[in-house]
Amino acid sequence: MLSWLQHRWIGLWLLLMALGALMLFFYGFFPLKYHSGKLARMDDLPNFIDGVSIDGQEVYNAGENSVVLMVIDGLRYDFASEEYMPFTGELLKNKSACIYVSVAEPPTVTMPRIKAMMTGSISTFADVALNFGAPAVRGDSVLRVASVRGRRSVLYGDDTWLRLFPGLWAEYDGTTSFYVTDYTEVDNNVTRHLDKVLTPDDDKEPTFDFLVLHYLGLDHIGHLEGARSPKIKPKLIEMDEVVKKIYIAMQTWDRTGVLIVCGDHGMRDAGGHGGATPAEVLIPLVVVKSGDFQCPHPRGPGPTVKQVDVATTVAWLLRAPPPGDSAGRVLPALLPADTRQHLYLLHALAAHCARHGLPTDTEFYKQFKRAEKQFAQYLATGQMSAAKIAKEFYDESLEAMSKYLTETTGEFDLFAISFATILLYIIAASLLCATLYSLQPDIRKPSTHHQPSTASLFVAFMIMFIIFSGVLVISCFITETKSQFCSFDPLWSIAFFGTVFALTVVYFVIKTGIETITDMSALRDLNAIDYLLIGGTLFHSWSFFGTSFIEEEHMTWYFFWNTLMFFVLIRTIVVIVMYFSKRLSRATEIQEKPELEQRMSSVGISILPKWVILIALHRYLRTMNQTGDRWLFLPDTADWLNAPENVFYLQAHLIIGTLSTLGICLWNVRHMNNSVHIHTALTIAAACSILCYRIAAGALDSPFPILKTWDTVTIVNIFWGILIAQLIYEILTYVGIFKNCGCSPNQNVNKFEYKKPKAKSEDYFYEPMDEPWNIDDVKLSLARSLSHIILNDLMLIIILLMRPHNVIMVPSVIATCSLTSKCLDHRLLDSRPGRGKDIADLISQTLVHIWIGMVFFFYQGNSNSLASVDLGAGYVGLSEYCAVRVGARMGLHAYAAPALAAAALHCRLARTHQWKRYLASVWRVSNIYALHRVYTLAVYCVVAVVFRHHLFVWSVFSPKLLYDFVATVFSIQALTTIAQIVLLTSLTSWLARIFTYKSTL
Amino acid sequence: MFSLNHQLELKKIAVSSLITCIYLPSIVTVISYKGILYSIGKSSSFYVLVLIFIAELLKSFYLNSNVQTKKYKGNRNRAGDIVKAFVFLLGVIFCFFVGIILFGAPVLESHDETLMLSTLLTLLTVFPLIALTGVEASMQLLFGVKNFSRDTVIEMLVNNALLTVCGAWLGAVVIPLDWNTPWQQWPIPCYLGAIGGYVFSNVLSVVKITMMSAANKYPVLNFFVSVLNKFNLSK
Repeated sequence: MLSWLQHRWIGLWLLLMALGALMLFFYGFFPLKYHSGKLARMDDLPNFIDGVSIDGQEVYNAGENSVVLMVIDGLRYDFASEEYMPFTGELLKNKSACIYVSVAEPPTVTMPRIKAMMTGSISTFADVALNFGAPAVRGDSVLRVASVRGRRSVLYGDDTWLRLFPGLWAEYDGTTSFYVTDYTEVDNNVTRHLDKVLTPDDDKEPTFDFLVLHYLGLDHIGHLEGARSPKIKPKLIEMDEVVKKIYIAMQTWDRTGVLIVCGDHGMRDAGGHGGATPAEVLIPLVVVKSGDFQCPHPRGPGPTVKQVDVATTVAWLLRAPPPGDSAGRVLPALLPADTRQHLYLLHALAAHCARHGLPTDTEFYKQFKRAEKQFAQYLATGQMSAAKIAKEFYDESLEAMSKYLTETTGEFDLFAISFATILLYIIAASLLCATLYSLQPDIRKPSTHHQPSTASLFVAFMIMFIIFSGVLVISCFITETKSQFCSFDPLWSIAFFGTVFALTVVYFVIKTGIETITDMSALRDLNAIDYLLIGGTLFHSWSFFGTSFIEEEHMTWYFFWNTLMFFVLIRTIVVIVMYFSKRLSRATEIQEKPELEQRMSSVGISILPKWVILIALHRYLRTMNQTGDRWLFLPDTADWLNAPENVFYLQAHLIIGTLSTLGICLWNVRHMNNSVHIHTALTIAAACSILCYRIAAGALDSPFPILKTWDTVTIVNIFWGILIAQLIYEILTYVGIFKNCGCSPNQNVNKFEYKKPKAKSEDYFYEPMDEPWNIDDVKLSLARSLSHIILNDLMLIIILLMRPHNVIMVPSVIATCSLTSKCLDHRLLDSRPGRGKDIADLISQTLVHIWIGMVFFFYQGNSNSLASVDLGAGYVGLSEYCAVRVGARMGLHAYAAPALAAAALHCRLARTHQWKRYLASVWRVSNIYALHRVYTLAVYCVVAVVFRHHLFVWSVFSPKLLYDFVATVFSIQALTTIAQIVLLTSLTSWLARIFTYKSTL
Repeated sequence: MFSLNHQLELKKIAVSSLITCIYLPSIVTVISYKGILYSIGKSSSFYVLVLIFIAELLKSFYLNSNVQTKKYKGNRNRAGDIVKAFVFLLGVIFCFFVGIILFGAPVLESHDETLMLSTLLTLLTVFPLIALTGVEASMQLLFGVKNFSRDTVIEMLVNNALLTVCGAWLGAVVIPLDWNTPWQQWPIPCYLGAIGGYVFSNVLSVVKITMMSAANKYPVLNFFVSVLNKFNLSK
């Protein structure tokens, strides 16, 4: 099994296993939609109140109503004021409309909110992940009960509704919700139907019973420009016009019309949503009724209701029973004035809630029973006092019931969760073994006479496999878990034995690791800064036991990063001052201590001012985007830059960022096969197309007005074409195609040519045939050039995706990486003269690049809340929605900094001079990377398990889990890319063997 | 760290550290008793700095008071030295000021508070060194050019300085927490952290010296002395 430990991609394989374990954890932690499958029927309505008979169906009847539900995506509470929506404000003022503060449950994302409004039950957190997929609702919903009762439902707007409730609409026109850069056309597509649908037929009856209008424009403006954008006001006035139109049309109908205007979720000032801040959770709900409707509530902000109340209210208005899983109430303003009907409605809802399997020994259940008695007494005797008491009791018990129901919807699969956590820990342990093994200075080949045969290894493996599966099966039965994981149906069995397999592999890795790790001398070279790096990384994961450290994770990283910069600053100052004082005072000593001279000459005196400038740069970048939770509202530099009067500075940032990125790219080109300056030309062309895109997108002014009219999609397509051409050209040169074609573009740059070293050619007799060729050198230079191409392409793509003010981040990441790697060099910092400290160097380099990635991740404005994910970046250069492309762009944009730092690290590794050394360092670094990732995951899973009943579990802990999941996927992607590069070098050299050898031999 | 060779120096260190352990906590106690602890970072609390300045100056006179004065200073022009030291201190305050801002203090507002903090740091770290040895020597000491392993007094001062900076640095940890307490205002945690680090370092010195003298009788205590030596950052 030693070969496993020595395998070059063991980190990658173990990381894949960790991803599987994480998925198992997710399965247990985020139960998919809990629904009882209960479908509501009219017969469910109670016909006896404590023994007194009553005709349920007749009393429940709300009369003929046409309901218009107007959902304005992203309408937060302060938008429904007279300032933004004058007509609505007027209605509220003269009390012909009621406003409520409606509370949405996190995650505040559109699809779960629609589900909550239509099914009346709280959706689970897993819905966020499915937000893009939107599978059909299988439980009960308002639309199902309405269509069973023969009501006509009509939808105009977001097509999420169509995907959630297919086949329940009499008429519809969906608009796609994901194309966020468009905010006029989406709304016009809704409004154009209004005239037709609002016109009543000949009997003055409207043509529908339930009309849903879902306007997306406001949310899109929020995503693009934030809640303080000047475009918000005209959009809300447009919405106000729609309200007015519907209100006027409702007065002409013969039937009662009810208009409910609400948002599905709010928005932050920055424009995102998904979290649990008041700006996202509190949304207005305006109820307008035709006829002489008078709002019973006093003027003001209005009472607080739950968002799920919409379901019950609409169902009741449509004379349909409340949907099976609903836990809401009817909006107070719409409750019937008739006492008997009013009480019956309360009773029906309370009885409906009680049927969800509430415990009968609770106070609210007893209250419900008491209310029922009072109601029966009222029915029998007609005492108004009894009715009054009954009403109070019903209200109290209903409130407690719906609170209870919303809090207990989620159930965790504890068996899967704990097993997955243990598995993650074991994987982390095995990665630790693999990493420590790889950190041994020289790894001896296993002595051959100890080597057991393959068959015996296989038998050992099978025995352990059987033992582990036995243990797991027994633990399944002992814990008597109801988990699907232990259900042993065919599909789950695959997962079950897959995990057992993983467990066995990991067991053997740990076992071999413990047996073979002997030489830990490399760790003795670590200096104080290395210990800071390691300790900080280890501590950071444990800091998540405090919720505010999750919300304010950036603070932890900033603090660590500051400490690191401070340490390095002190060390550099000490080294430089020592050097100078010795040089000035006693000139002889400098000759006695050549290593001091050597240390200095590797960096030069300019390192100190550079480092101070770097600190200042970081200080500036930290103010660029306020992130986290507590200080999010503070104005930041990005706000200032985006103000219309500061457009010059914004463009300056954009141009400086783009041009310095171009400069770095051109500097990197020297590592490629830059014959006839083809790569230079292509890079410049790509940068130009980015600038053209910026001009066409309106972010940049230009002296040539023609540029503004160019199509952004075409420009971005050209950009992709350039990048792909660059990559293909590079590989083709290596294969040696051009030489065969007769033109040899790389005459003067002969470093990539296959050639025989002259000295070796003499004694060819002793060497195998392909040995004299410098294959390893060529492989290394191909790997080097590919990694630099990838770094360049990443930088260019990311400055294409970034917001204008964030473009400056890209060159800053690279500058930080290169300067920090220079300063952390052990030869510079250690006072003892160093022997080979490559391994200690590798550890510190890897960790510091991880840190840089995380620090810039937060500089860029990301946080551990879903609201900070930038949806706008997903649509750069796309004309229509395509889940994969949009997802990839959004992910790359969010994780831009960690990706860049990792790519920079890989380039640094590829700049060595030996192929073997490159492979060894890649092996070590990928192990450290994987170890860090799995360690973080394992610790965080424990945090999530410990806090699973915490108040913030859905608003703070779960989004962080999703972020960790995405980070894991990206780590796997990064390691796979490196593996592909190595594979590609082998492939190319194989191809070259076919093409070039024969032609030149 | 400390050797027993210089009994006189040890006595001096013990006395001066004891004085510090008494006067700094009593200043803080009096202030908090008056209920103005949370105004400590503001410019209205300048008198604290003046008190610390006087106390440190007296301490340095005490430390300098013996034969060894000659060891640190030659016969030079006192007035010129004082002016030079003053200018140098201003420079150090400015460096601290810029450094604190670079490491995350507010840029555009609360300059007063940042200035108070940097003055405090200067008073606790560089000022005692300068008062003891003069400008040039202290600069050389700070950057590790001159070796001070023989000199216990200076070793204590450098250790004090390092722990003070560490205390201020660690004080910043509490600022982002969501406890919403009044003392999380900038720069109170760092200010108190610096004072805390300084007092802690002095307590360490006192304890160590006590232990060392007691270790003659009870050799068990040597273990604790070696543990305490681990706290010594100046090596």
